[in-house]
Amino acid sequence: MTDHIAIQTVGLSKDYGDVHALVELDLEIHTGEIFGFLGPNGAGKTTMIRTILDEIRPTAGSASILGMDSHEKSVEIRNFIGYVPGDLAMYPNLTGRDTITYFANLRGGVDWAYVDELADRLDADMAKKVGDLSSGNRQKIGLIQAFMNRPEVLIMDEPSSGLDPLVQREFQSMLREVTANGSTVFLSSHTLSEVQRVADRVGIIRHGKLIALESVASLRSKGIRKVELFFDESVDGAVFDPLPGVSDVTVQNHHVTFSFSGQMERLIKVVTDTYTLVDISTQEADLEEIFLTYYRDEDVTA
Amino acid sequence: MTLTNVFTKTTRDRWKGEAIGAVTLALLFLFAMAVYRDIDLSVYTSLPEVYRTLVSIPADADLASLSYGAIFGSYGALTMAGMALAMGSASVAGEERRGTIGLLLDNPKSRTSILISKTAAMVFLTGLGTLFLWGVGLIAPEILNVSIAGMHVGALAFHMFMIAIFFGFLAMAIGAWTGSPGVSAGVTAGVLFISFVGAGLFPIIEGYETVAKAFPWYYFNGSQPVNNGIAWGHIGVLLLGIVAFAAIGLIGFNRRDLRDQTSGVTLVDRLRANPMTEQFADRLAGSARVSHIWTKTASEHQGLLLVTAAIMFLMMGVMMGPMFALIDDALAGMLEGFPEVLLALFGGGDMTTPEGWYQLETFGMMAPISVMVATVAIGTAALAGEEDHRTMGLLLANRISRTTVVLQNVIAMVVYGFVVGVAIFAGVAIGSLLGGLGMSVGNIAATSLLVTLVGLVFGGLALALGAATGKPRVAIYGTVGVALVLYILNAFLPFNDTFAGYARWSPFYYYLSSDPLINGMNWGHGAVLTVLAAGLIALAVLVFNRRDLRQTG
Repeated sequence: MTDHIAIQTVGLSKDYGDVHALVELDLEIHTGEIFGFLGPNGAGKTTMIRTILDEIRPTAGSASILGMDSHEKSVEIRNFIGYVPGDLAMYPNLTGRDTITYFANLRGGVDWAYVDELADRLDADMAKKVGDLSSGNRQKIGLIQAFMNRPEVLIMDEPSSGLDPLVQREFQSMLREVTANGSTVFLSSHTLSEVQRVADRVGIIRHGKLIALESVASLRSKGIRKVELFFDESVDGAVFDPLPGVSDVTVQNHHVTFSFSGQMERLIKVVTDTYTLVDISTQEADLEEIFLTYYRDEDVTA
Repeated sequence: MTLTNVFTKTTRDRWKGEAIGAVTLALLFLFAMAVYRDIDLSVYTSLPEVYRTLVSIPADADLASLSYGAIFGSYGALTMAGMALAMGSASVAGEERRGTIGLLLDNPKSRTSILISKTAAMVFLTGLGTLFLWGVGLIAPEILNVSIAGMHVGALAFHMFMIAIFFGFLAMAIGAWTGSPGVSAGVTAGVLFISFVGAGLFPIIEGYETVAKAFPWYYFNGSQPVNNGIAWGHIGVLLLGIVAFAAIGLIGFNRRDLRDQTSGVTLVDRLRANPMTEQFADRLAGSARVSHIWTKTASEHQGLLLVTAAIMFLMMGVMMGPMFALIDDALAGMLEGFPEVLLALFGGGDMTTPEGWYQLETFGMMAPISVMVATVAIGTAALAGEEDHRTMGLLLANRISRTTVVLQNVIAMVVYGFVVGVAIFAGVAIGSLLGGLGMSVGNIAATSLLVTLVGLVFGGLALALGAATGKPRVAIYGTVGVALVLYILNAFLPFNDTFAGYARWSPFYYYLSSDPLINGMNWGHGAVLTVLAAGLIALAVLVFNRRDLRQTG
């Protein structure tokens, strides 16, 4: 059964004194998927990652990677993982190449042709000392060391911080390539847009609790759209509120926007009966709006 | 002018270290005075004058002045100066190293006012520390019912304050000029060390007494302030230096570019950039350096190791041999009835023999300090340093256990200890040869081995403290504090019949108590030290495996 589960946590909890950083987290990440782990700052994302990597030990519950207990088999596990810590720190006195050599030695060798290919794709400067690199360029060295051993599981904590958009795109296609080859990616982030572009499933964590777990596809299939309407006169927002499937109405004179998940035909009928419609534009809502729509209650109570 | 918030923040960041240092010194002072009280002091009447000068003991030596001389005059002043040095070197250079200086200077405050605030905090804390010691110096004799009539404790404290901030300002000036806390601390510590040794040594070499005046330390206790009160001329010299350093620091800090959080360019970097030496340097700095965890750790403190080993080899080793040959006749006449208890502080030994000379000058205090500098630096950096720099998580994401990380660093620590040990051995052996002293090479090796083992015990302690807490400060201050107390216990306890047996609880007992320079290797003592070091390392492995890594630095 564990064959197709890359990362599993069972009732994973971590307390720091009175602070509950993780509360009974149950999670299964499947082999070959890109899992986006979302949450605001301080929600417990990093604590979860540090726990499954055996940097810190759970107060209760357990975690396993590729079927191996994250504490008992922690050294063995590291044969199969690549890791980019959040707020990445490296050795300022070593060059990028020295850094990679160091980790390669600790891992018992590396395919240098692949390292060079990665460096090339990310446009990384391997000759400069890491301490002299900007944070984005330093991040590239961190990404190379995570990818270089073709790990079965990639665990990344805010990996694209500091990267420029072009490199971010390259990084995202690298993620897709490794998952196409059977690897699993666990991607922690606080930006939905990045996760939306690459992830297969997303989990949302707040105050140490998992409040949502959905596939990106099923979220999209909820069919939420963002609708903009333009009229030839000022309109009253109260007209739209009672319509089924309408939420988040904002009115600016002739211009109305809202999220919509109902039948378009009915909407148009009601609208055109009341006002003269000049223009209409609709587009698929992004994850941000979907979450705002579906998980607002959890946000409030959490 | 002074930034209250920078001043208070710096003070808040630093007061604990200063408080721990001052309280430790106060306890040691109480202890020393209590021990001296129980000793027959008649021997002191026959003290040769130059020796009294050397260790700050007045002609009519009584136990109060002995205590002041021993604790305030040497350890106390060194510790206070060391702490001022640490604060001075960390002031603006420390912020630059951490990359926070830009943030600080984003505020509408000038570089001048920030440097002044930071330096003011250093002066303030050093002042508090010396005020506290002054108070203890006055109260302790009351408690112990010891007369201090005619003693100028306040003058001694004032001199101590001035010499401490002198080195604090020097460190500040170098740090402000270079932006490198490492360079600042290293250079200042070197000057402090040479100054301490020079001011102590030259007065006993006939014809060279005045050379001592070239060393700042002379202006601390050259005038024997505890007996003669404040020597304003000497204070003036120190003040002149302080003003000069302040000016240099302000000018330097105002006119140069701030460092962003960059690494320095080392000699090896230059060699790497040069096509002639590229291949060799690349191997040294690159592939060899990162081939194992221990080589990387070892590569990181090579400057410290080099300086320490060079000082021990040349100054404390090679130079001491011919020097003894120069002055041994004079020494022989003067040392009749010299009190052992005093010499014990510097490691003991009969100074009329080459072995005794080397024991007092080199092996007694400097040798253990130098080996410990190397081993404790590694012991601290190995685990606590890596964690503090937030790279431990990345390191442990590789296929290595926490045990491996500890043991790899132990290799680096052992290498460092032995490099210094071998430097001491080679220096002393060559010095003995040059001076024609005819010391046993085997015994020199034995003593060097024992001091290396002592260094590894305390390196192991630093490692264990770092493993338990992940905090470099705890590791380094904890180790230095424990070592200081154990060293002094071992030096004093044997003179008190009631407590003599307790000296065995100090690792230092297993270093020189068997007189290895005369009797050769004591394998039993060597074994005790080895087991102790191994035990501490095992403890480090145990606690490091059980603990959560720290989240941030």
